[in-house]
Amino acid sequence: MIAEWSHEVVLAATVLSWFIIAAGLAQTTIYLLQLVFAGYALSKRPPVARSALLWQRYGDVAPPIALLVPAYNEALNVVESVHSMLALEYPNFEVVVINDGSKDDTLQRLIDAFKLMKFQRPFEEALAHQPIRGLYSSPMTERLFVVDKENGGKADAQNAGINVCRAPLFCVIDGDSILEPDALMRAAQPFIDDPERTIAVGGTIRIANGSKIEAGRVREVHLPRRLLPLFQVVEYLRAFLMARLAWSSINTLMLVSGAFGMFRRAEVVAVGGFTKGSMGEDLDLVIKLHRHMRDKNRKYRIQFIPEPVCWTEAPESLSVLARQRSRWQRGALECFFRYRSMLFNPRYGRVGFLGFGHILIVDVLGPVAEVLGYILIPAFWLLGILSAEYLLAFTALIFTYGVCVSVCSLILEEAELQRFPRARDLAVLTAAAVIENFGYRQLNNFWRVKGWWQYLRGNQGWGEMTRTGLGAAKK
Amino acid sequence: MWYIWDLSILLSALSLATMLLLIARRVLQERRGRAPADQRRQVLTALIAFTENRDREALKATVLGVQAGMAIDAGFEFISLLRGEERDDVLVAFNECDLPDRVGRLLQKGNVAERIHAAEMLAALGSEDASAKLLSALAQDRSREVRIAAAIALCDLGSLPLLGTALDFIGVAGQRSRRLIELFRRFPRSRFNELAVHASRVDASPFVRAAAIDALAHAGGFGFADFFAGLADDASPEVVAAALRALGLTGHAQAPAILKRAMANDDWDVRAAAAESAGRLGLPELAAPLSRLLDDEVWTVRYAAANALRSFGQPGERLLREIASAEVSRSQRTASLILAEGPVL
Repeated sequence: MIAEWSHEVVLAATVLSWFIIAAGLAQTTIYLLQLVFAGYALSKRPPVARSALLWQRYGDVAPPIALLVPAYNEALNVVESVHSMLALEYPNFEVVVINDGSKDDTLQRLIDAFKLMKFQRPFEEALAHQPIRGLYSSPMTERLFVVDKENGGKADAQNAGINVCRAPLFCVIDGDSILEPDALMRAAQPFIDDPERTIAVGGTIRIANGSKIEAGRVREVHLPRRLLPLFQVVEYLRAFLMARLAWSSINTLMLVSGAFGMFRRAEVVAVGGFTKGSMGEDLDLVIKLHRHMRDKNRKYRIQFIPEPVCWTEAPESLSVLARQRSRWQRGALECFFRYRSMLFNPRYGRVGFLGFGHILIVDVLGPVAEVLGYILIPAFWLLGILSAEYLLAFTALIFTYGVCVSVCSLILEEAELQRFPRARDLAVLTAAAVIENFGYRQLNNFWRVKGWWQYLRGNQGWGEMTRTGLGAAKK
Repeated sequence: MWYIWDLSILLSALSLATMLLLIARRVLQERRGRAPADQRRQVLTALIAFTENRDREALKATVLGVQAGMAIDAGFEFISLLRGEERDDVLVAFNECDLPDRVGRLLQKGNVAERIHAAEMLAALGSEDASAKLLSALAQDRSREVRIAAAIALCDLGSLPLLGTALDFIGVAGQRSRRLIELFRRFPRSRFNELAVHASRVDASPFVRAAAIDALAHAGGFGFADFFAGLADDASPEVVAAALRALGLTGHAQAPAILKRAMANDDWDVRAAAAESAGRLGLPELAAPLSRLLDDEVWTVRYAAANALRSFGQPGERLLREIASAEVSRSQRTASLILAEGPVL
């Protein structure tokens, strides 16, 4: 059958297929290596089960931390979120909420709930941001400060918070997320164990949809009832327990999530803070930190530790999820091309080779190659241009290796952390880890290619994130 | 191409089989029901009863009737709440149940988290051979975190070897940990001279020296003031800053001269520490150099200097107001900001 096509057509199809399969192979190899590294890292550093022990051990030497909470139109959740943050178990912290020019009554709700009063606090204008309209403090608690500023986006709000805060460390968290009570204490551990070198630490983000939430705390962990957030539970496990843990173990972590990350203030100020208007401001900041420290020839650590947990609400509708994923893709592309000089640059060592190599293969080439593969490889086979071998190889890379990687992430979770309380949850997640490779993965890649297209067209919109509110609807 | 397919099937099948085994393990754990929680409650109830009736045999029977790990965990948590004779009695019962031996084995064979916890428990249980086991962990354990935990436990037991030896065991990497501050703060007063010797060693790491100075300043008091004054000219800015902060706590006859000199130091941390200490000691004679620091290029220094001036009371505030009402400059802005701090009326 192959003989019926001209040599040129067969050659072109073969080259194209090889490119697609090679990209898939590279991606799969990276994932399998990440699994090995992550497994090793978890076995080397098993988690401390009880947070009371951490308090006893680190309470006296824990450094002060400022918790920065940018809030834009978060009226639904903000009071409950702030209450839960004020109740965190950490000896020395302050909560700085930055109202980023919300159009709803976010600020008024805070003023009413915490009896806020206008306050003057001298601070260093180290980073540029939109003008601050007022600072507020609460007579109810000396831990809370609210910054009311004109709208400038998340990065701008975070920069304002960095300016206002006084602690040597700050922790960024989304206004609609819930930190576990011991999350700060656990995340601060690397800053205690190695205070000179540690400049950033990321914790785990977990999906709270379906869990029982009361008074800003996750009381009972349940799986989401809907399929879309359920698939995202598996995705998040893969992203955090596999990818970040693996890169962290070789000091090549390229992303500390903006939804929960702890940073040393001095270094963040030195790199100019969060890049305003960036689609992936968290990725951007970590890359800048790597570049700064390597340019200065300083020893440093950017770490991920799996035990501190921040719960977040995952999108439940296709349209919102599609916007989120396209935005993430644009963020990755934007950072990749902005800092492209670091790619394979020996000056940046493993960050340039492994970290940027990973972004190139997984974020830049990955989605395009995979979506091309969905269309071309079956077409070439159906038209008789290529043999079934190619189709099988592509199928293996997309489906069967996908199942293996997702299930192995779940194995890591169960073997070391056991955060899902019931055996039935594990069975459901195992099924989800298999099924997500048949449909959801393809959809995701389609959204990512859409993100590519938007990036090429210069689309910089964030899109609306519709939320139902963790405390309100997910009981 | 076939090998890609074959390998993928093999790996997927293996991962699924492993996951099924883990699910089965979890099912078994669930079937065992609430046994661990019940056992824990049993031990705690027996301990509470013991503090009332001192029935050691009943306590021992309960402790020996549950899993050793459970008894150790619950027991450790409970004895941290006890003091005096009550605590000693519980410890005797635990020793008779061989709990320290089990903890000792955990210190040798557990994972890192378990070994750190075992070191802490051994110190709390205070058995006869605890010090020997902890010394062995300090000298031989692979993890620096375990070695530090062993050093702290030995310090609590009063059996820490000479500081230099202990730090050598902890290793260079371990000497960057803030846990050393914890170790130094637990140092017995009778061994403060060791801290002082280490703080003055120019070959030691500045972080460790600064931590030793900090511990001496908080617990040693004025007796070390001359020593801190001597370190204010050290080559390491980290050590100088720590010494200046220590002087701010203890005071010293030469403090004004030392702090004034330090306010002109090239290192901003030293200048900030000098300003802080001047404020803490309330030295109005340093108002002039402090007001010059209001123009410092580093915000932390400007803020510390302004705060120091403000802490002088009316004379300081008057000076700040004069600066704030002068021509626009960095000093003027700093003074205005610090004067405006507080509720907006």
